[in-house]
Amino acid sequence: MHTSPAKLLILIALSLVILVEGRTVLAFFGIEIAPLETALIGVVIIAALVIWAVRPLRGSPSESE
Amino acid sequence: MTALFIDEYPAEARVVKAAFLSSFIAFGIGALFGIIQALHRTDIFRFLESDKYYTVLTGHGVFLIIAFTIFFLVGLYQWAVTDSLERGPVDIRFTWLWYGLMAIGSFLAGISILAGFLEQPPMVLGSELRANVLFTFYAPLQANPLYYIGLALFLVGTWLAGIDWFRTWWAWRDENPGERIPLRTFMVLTTMIMFFLGSIGVIVAVLVFILPWSLEITESLNPLLTRTLFWFFGHMIVYFWLLPAYLLWYTVLPKLSGGRLFSDPLARVVFILFVLLSTPVGIHHQYMDPGIAEGFKFIAMTNTMFLLLPSFLTAFTVVASMEHGARQRGGKGRFNWLQALPWRNPAFTGMALAGLVFAFGGFTGIVNAGMNINYLVHNALWVPGHLHAQVGTATALTLMAGSYWLVPQLTGNRLVGRQVALFQVVLWFVGIVFMTNSMFRAGLVGVPRRTAEPQYQGFEYDVAVGSMGELNAQLALGGTLLFISALLFLTLMLLTVFNNDSEPIVDGTLPPALSGPEDSPPVLDNLRLWFGIALVLVILGYALPLAGIVAQSGLFGQDIQPFPVSSEAVMYLEFGLDYVGALIT
Repeated sequence: MHTSPAKLLILIALSLVILVEGRTVLAFFGIEIAPLETALIGVVIIAALVIWAVRPLRGSPSESE
Repeated sequence: MTALFIDEYPAEARVVKAAFLSSFIAFGIGALFGIIQALHRTDIFRFLESDKYYTVLTGHGVFLIIAFTIFFLVGLYQWAVTDSLERGPVDIRFTWLWYGLMAIGSFLAGISILAGFLEQPPMVLGSELRANVLFTFYAPLQANPLYYIGLALFLVGTWLAGIDWFRTWWAWRDENPGERIPLRTFMVLTTMIMFFLGSIGVIVAVLVFILPWSLEITESLNPLLTRTLFWFFGHMIVYFWLLPAYLLWYTVLPKLSGGRLFSDPLARVVFILFVLLSTPVGIHHQYMDPGIAEGFKFIAMTNTMFLLLPSFLTAFTVVASMEHGARQRGGKGRFNWLQALPWRNPAFTGMALAGLVFAFGGFTGIVNAGMNINYLVHNALWVPGHLHAQVGTATALTLMAGSYWLVPQLTGNRLVGRQVALFQVVLWFVGIVFMTNSMFRAGLVGVPRRTAEPQYQGFEYDVAVGSMGELNAQLALGGTLLFISALLFLTLMLLTVFNNDSEPIVDGTLPPALSGPEDSPPVLDNLRLWFGIALVLVILGYALPLAGIVAQSGLFGQDIQPFPVSSEAVMYLEFGLDYVGALIT
């Protein structure tokens, strides 16, 4: 793994927070994202994080902390 | 493995556990009321009539921001004083006395609130037993006298707790002449000086005006005066909720990070600043109140902005301590040290995330404190958003995280479900962001707080982003996540208490600060000096506004009738006086 399950959990939580607050901030600049689009972006980000996290490290079968 | 607190101080550990138990019971009831509100006012699920919403709302406020926080505070502070002075109280019976008074007071106030769910509440002390007066109990809203008696007993208990810790410190000082006050005890004592000073307002409001008025001993009161006396106490109490979290951030979080507190003197300065600044700012809660001259409001705003200073100092000191800890654990680089922090530890992660929300919530507090921009958000849903970010997360999440570290030391049992605990604190973090984001956005377009029916017929809010339906859904989702998180926390605490066949793996020792008290002038420990200056500032901040309010409408107002009005109260009081008179003669 590229990171520990605990850090992955924190990263997912922070992504959700950035998504929720970021959507509000973007609206101040006239960029409006619909709730469904936001949810889809969230799913993509979380999926990407999970794939990155579980991908084995190159040349090392051991897990990192 | 160091000796556990329960092994070294078993009698004191029992008091701390009793206080925590009371705190967690209140937390469970308050959290239940929270989810009921979130689903009711968003019209997603309703099973109560809207008039009962105000019983729920009062209970949510009182059980959480009075009982949950302050019971936890007295438990935590009892631990802090005992552990840092390495001695118990002068007389443990006195310690149980203040806990008992607080428990009885909470019980009386609690049943007064819960009786509001009854269709026909019983008559007590001459009026119906109910207390739908919300946390602020603004007159002319009137509760049953039992509610105010309960509040008074709770306050007396809290005062006695402070006196108990001062007595313990005086005894320690006699045994250790010339020694600097240990940091945790210093934090406890300064917090209590702040509380003694700030709670005078609410004590006068309750004992001199509201309780006699509810018993119909006096016929009227001055609502602006009692509101102002409430807010004399009301902003200080914010810091009374927050300072236990500060104590944990300053003393436990650096240790959990793997390091030591960056600066003991800076921590002392921060607590002194709260003693000085927390009370003479309460009028900033009354910007919309007529009857207080604008000049006094402007001064209160200016004083409030000074309160940013201790918050910024705390952010610097705590983050510096965490960075030191991370580097001790092998962390390197400008930001990569963050990865070396112990994110698997729920106690650490909960406190760190709470601190992050506190920083964000603090900026929303600047909006509340600014006189002109406050008019936009006053009494709007923005304000509960701020409150939930600060006390509902900075404090509550820190206290939950602290429990994961402290409760095993108090029980001698290993924490059950460490990974679930990590998930719980992260879930709270996500839930609060969902909920407060929708509250802030709704508040900005004028959605009111403190109402079961925020939608008006024939009127649509001009929501800047998305729709009201979306905001409601987000609020309900956030509230649900918080409720699940609260249930998880309480379940883990319960399982840990009964996890008898285990050994805790927690180390309760706290390392000394990198820069210790010897690096600061002894005047920082001169508590009389700081109390004196704080008293002068309070007099400067409040003497003229209070005099102006009394000059306008008198001490007892002009024929202010209670709502709801109770004619039976007069009858019972007359009967009681006649009866006592007959007995005497």
